[in-house]
This record gives sequence, C-alpha cells and structure tokens, in this order.
Amino acid sequence: MIKLLLRKFLQGLMMILIVSAVTFALLGFAGGDALSQLRDNPQISEATIERLRSVYGLDQPLPVRYFRWLSDAITGDLGESMYFRVPVSGLVWARALSTFLLGSAAFAIALTFAVPLSFIGVRYKSTTIAAFVNLLILVTASTPRIVLALVALAISVRLTASAMEGSSSVLFWLAALALSAPLISIFLAQLHGELQRTMREDFIKLARAKGLSEGAVILRHAIRPALNPVLTIAGLSLGGLLGGSVIVESVLGRQGLGTLMVSAVRARDLPLVMGIVLFTSTAVWLGNALGELLQAVNDKRIRDLGF
Amino acid sequence: MNEHLSRDGFSRRRTDRVAIFGWLVVGLFALSAVFAGFLAPYDHGAQSRFEPSAPATRIHFSGLTPIIHPRRVEDPLRRTYTEDTSVSFPVGFFVRGYSYKLLGIGETNVHLFGVRSTSGIAPRINLLGTDQLGRDRFSRLLYAVRFSLIVTMIGVLVACLVGIAIGGVSGYAGGFVDTFLMGATDAMLALPTLILILGVRAAFPLELPIIRAAMLLLLIFALTGWAEIARLTRGLVLSLRQREFVFAAVALGVSQTRVLFRHILPNILPSLRTRAILLLPTFLLAEVALSYLGVGLQEPEPSLGNMLTAASDLDQLRSQPFNVLSPAIAVLLFTLAVRLIASSERAQ
Repeated sequence: MIKLLLRKFLQGLMMILIVSAVTFALLGFAGGDALSQLRDNPQISEATIERLRSVYGLDQPLPVRYFRWLSDAITGDLGESMYFRVPVSGLVWARALSTFLLGSAAFAIALTFAVPLSFIGVRYKSTTIAAFVNLLILVTASTPRIVLALVALAISVRLTASAMEGSSSVLFWLAALALSAPLISIFLAQLHGELQRTMREDFIKLARAKGLSEGAVILRHAIRPALNPVLTIAGLSLGGLLGGSVIVESVLGRQGLGTLMVSAVRARDLPLVMGIVLFTSTAVWLGNALGELLQAVNDKRIRDLGF
Repeated sequence: MNEHLSRDGFSRRRTDRVAIFGWLVVGLFALSAVFAGFLAPYDHGAQSRFEPSAPATRIHFSGLTPIIHPRRVEDPLRRTYTEDTSVSFPVGFFVRGYSYKLLGIGETNVHLFGVRSTSGIAPRINLLGTDQLGRDRFSRLLYAVRFSLIVTMIGVLVACLVGIAIGGVSGYAGGFVDTFLMGATDAMLALPTLILILGVRAAFPLELPIIRAAMLLLLIFALTGWAEIARLTRGLVLSLRQREFVFAAVALGVSQTRVLFRHILPNILPSLRTRAILLLPTFLLAEVALSYLGVGLQEPEPSLGNMLTAASDLDQLRSQPFNVLSPAIAVLLFTLAVRLIASSERAQ
C-alpha cells in the first residue's frame, strides 16, 4: 500500500517536472512575452524595457530561469501575473474553486446517469434498455462540448428575456450538463460493460445459487469488482474535464480556470500560463492517484499486491 | 443456433447501413470542401453594408421559378428587414459570379446557384443569413469546412507518423527506452490536452496569417495527438515481434530497419485505422476550440470556430439560433458520422 502510494507519487512528480520543463522551454524558445508588446509603444524606451526585463528576470538564460521558477514554485510562489499584476497563486486558487464546483457537478450528473442505468440494464436484461444505453453512449460520446455549450447558451437566452440575469443557477446546471456529456458516455460504457462481464463470473452463479435476489446479487457481489475499471477511468477523465471546462466556461461566460487560461494566452502572460499548467497537471495527477487509491480501498487484491 | 445466426446477420447489416450513412456524410463534407468555390454563391470575404445580421433570404415561387425580393433595413438597431415585393429576381443554377479557382487549377466564375439579373445589380441570396459584417454565412461555412478538413486530415497523418515512430521504437527497443517512452505516453494521455495546447499556443504571436495558423495547428496536433497511436503501435509491435514470420526474417539475416518497415509496419496499419479515424473529430474540435477562443485561425478568414463567435451576439442568437449555430451543427454531423464509421469498423 505504502509502496503503491510512493510509486504513484514519484511518477507524478516526474510527469509534472517534465511537463513544466517542456512548456517552459517552448515558451522561452519561441521568444516574445508580455514585455515585447511594449516595444510597439513609442513612449517606452528600449532602456526601460531592458530594465523591466531584469526586474522580471527575463534577461537570464533559460535553465537559470526555470530553476528559479521551480524553486519558487516549491515554496508556493508562482510569481506575479504580468497582465493582472497580482500573485499567480492567489489568482489560480480563486478561479480553481469555481471550476472545481462545475467539475464536481458534472461528475455528479454523469454518475446519476451511469449507475442507475447500468444497474437497471443488467438487472432486467431488457434489449430495449440495452439499445437505449448504447444510443446514449453514442450520442453523448459524439456530441462535442462546444456544441452542447452553445445550445445551452441558446436555450438560456430563449428562456430569459435579458440574457444573463437572474438565471445563474440555471446557467450553472446547463454548463455542468454540457461538461458532463463525454463523462456520461465513458462511465456508462465502462460500468455497463464491466457489470455484464462480471455477471458471467462463477461467484455470481454461487451467489444466485445461495438464493439471493437478482438485485442483491448485483449490489452485494457484482458492483464492487465492476467498479474498479470505472475508478481508473474516472481518475483519467479529469484531464479531459479540465480541457472541456475551458470551452464551457468561455461559451457560457463563467469566470473559471479555463477562461483564466484563455486570457493568459491572449495576453501572453507567461507566469500565469506556467502557473495554470503546473496547477492543472498537479490536479490531474492527484485525480489519478485518488482513483488508484480508491481502487486499492475497494479491492483487497490490489492492496495486498502493493505493486 | 438458427436464431443466433440470423440475429448476427441482422446486426451486421445494420452496422453496414450505419457505416454507409457515416461515409455519405463524410463524403458530402469532402465534396463541399473540394468544391467550396463552386458551391458558394459569394466570396467568403465579400461584405454587404446594407445587410448586416440579416436572417435567411426568403425564397418565393412565381409559377415554377424560384424568385427572391430585394430587402431593406427597417430598423437598423433591431436589425429587422422588409422585402420589396414590387421587384423580383429569379434564382437559377450555374450563375456567373465572382471568379475562383476550380480544383486549384482552372479559373472560372460559374457557381452552382445564384441570383440572375439583367441589369447586373442583383440582391444577394443568403441561405443561412449574414453575419455582423453582412457576409454570406453559407459561403463562409463552405470555406470554413474546407480549411478545417484540410488541417484536420494532414494533422491526423502527421500525428500518426509521430505516434507510429514513437510506439514502434518503444516496442522494438524495449528496456529503458520503452519504459521512458511509455511513461511519456501515459503522461500525455492523462494531461489536460486543451490546456497544454493553449500553453503551446501562448509561445507564438497572437495574430497569424492563414498559412502560418495552419502550420501552427499542425505542429500542435503533432505535439499533443500522438500518444494513443503510440500506445497502440507499441502493443502491436510487441505481439508481432513474437510471430514466426518475423523470426524467420531475422533468421534470414534481414536488417532491423527492413524487418520493421517490410514485415511489421504493413501488419500494423490496418489495426491503426479505426484509431486514426477517431482522431479526425478530436483534431477538428481542437481547431474549432482554438479558433473560437480567438487563438486559432483568425478573422477575416472563416473557420468553423471563429464563425461560432457570432453566438456571443445574444440578440442574433435568440432571433435566428439555427443560422448562428450552423457551424456547430456541421461539427456535430461530422463527429457523429465519424463515430458511426468507427463503431461499425470496430464491430467487424
């Protein structure tokens, strides 16, 4: 168990180091930053720009800058946003809360679709329900989030005479629904398929032979082993969720991490871009680790194996 | 047994039908990309000052010939239009308009349809209305599909090449190289791709001309899209490496590169096809997202993404949602069609 956690931790650390180094290098090599835009302003002399460069440490070679940034980042200091003129970490935390709420709502929606539908589908073995489940998987998998978000916007505009006022909770749930569509597809496909597979195992036959009702067989014996792959997928889907939040937040005008990233990119605010990349990759890694941890809690075999 | 067989046959027929529908839609997209100039009645950049944010042109019939009436702005603030029914112009096929290059070679000015007039001044026919600058949305949509499809298809090719190279090396070399490359692949698959794409995008200037924007999109696809292909390739190489014909080739003294290119690669490609097809909507959506966010292809060039920014004009979104969201509908159709193709391929 400890070994498993340690391994996950080291893997994640490596991943974050590599990602941050590559992003940093790309941003550095491509040249140009928020300061190079100042060149267009005739009132600012070249000397001023050079001075600002040394203030921000942009005149140092790239590896030096990276290690300085990294050592600051370890202490929780991600530098100052060049565009917003406030510390990056405060900005990211404030916006991350809103995105976290939206993402949690999307997760909740996906689970409320996936769990009962797979249960009913396996319990009653009806071909109609199976066909419906397959259709739902196809539709939710192939409807892009940007389309859903735009439709949500069109609906909310239709619902309310003056667009954005008084309907913030409606808008929130519409956004969460748009964000959750691919999750519904992934969870439903995984859970339904895995439950069907588990129901063919020998221990299910044993449970039935004991005289348990079909519902009890599923709830007490089939759900737990079928849940493991779903947990892996749930951990892995966090990356897509964060990417999707960029779109959903931008379309529906929510102030979250995604919209912050967009404004950072448009302003070429490198400290902010780096901060968000670091934050999101850490969050994704934590999500993966949490998924594996829950699996270990759920499945004694993994716990004992400790690989 | 009998029931089982007939059922199997039935479902296979159905997946075939589904796949045919998918291919039809994709083919339609490809045709409209190739013949965008012929199908579009107007130049995608041509503005009409008198018709900003206009709804779709009403087509009337006088006898059997379709006609349209010129329209005037009634209220410029609320953008309402009235038709002048005293004058009418016939709509016809193969009408001469602006000149374009057909198939990139011959210059011509014949379009599939358009408004005929004897005086040379004709009102414009806007099947999907116009945008804020009075540009014909239907024409822009066709050119947008062309740009998106070209970039997406080349992007899939490039990403596949990168993925096959990384996966092939990883599976064939094994050992430390394999561990490292697959670690990178796993990381790539888990990371928030769109945020990484935006991060890469931040390294380049905001305003880019069309060719540069296309190159940048291709670079981004190559950098971020290879992981799934690489993982699949590695698995296939690992299993193929154990097969007799590879052993035989090695025993005959065939060089390693020849084994890879002549014996392993041809056996990988068919299995990669489904995954590669599924990359099409992924990349299309990435292009749409970037252009929508204003960091992909930029105005005045049309792209599916930047056309959708018209949805932020809420009045227009309310009064004509289907026109404004027509690029989104195109995206939806394309992704659905590709999914159908991929799912029927997997079923076989």
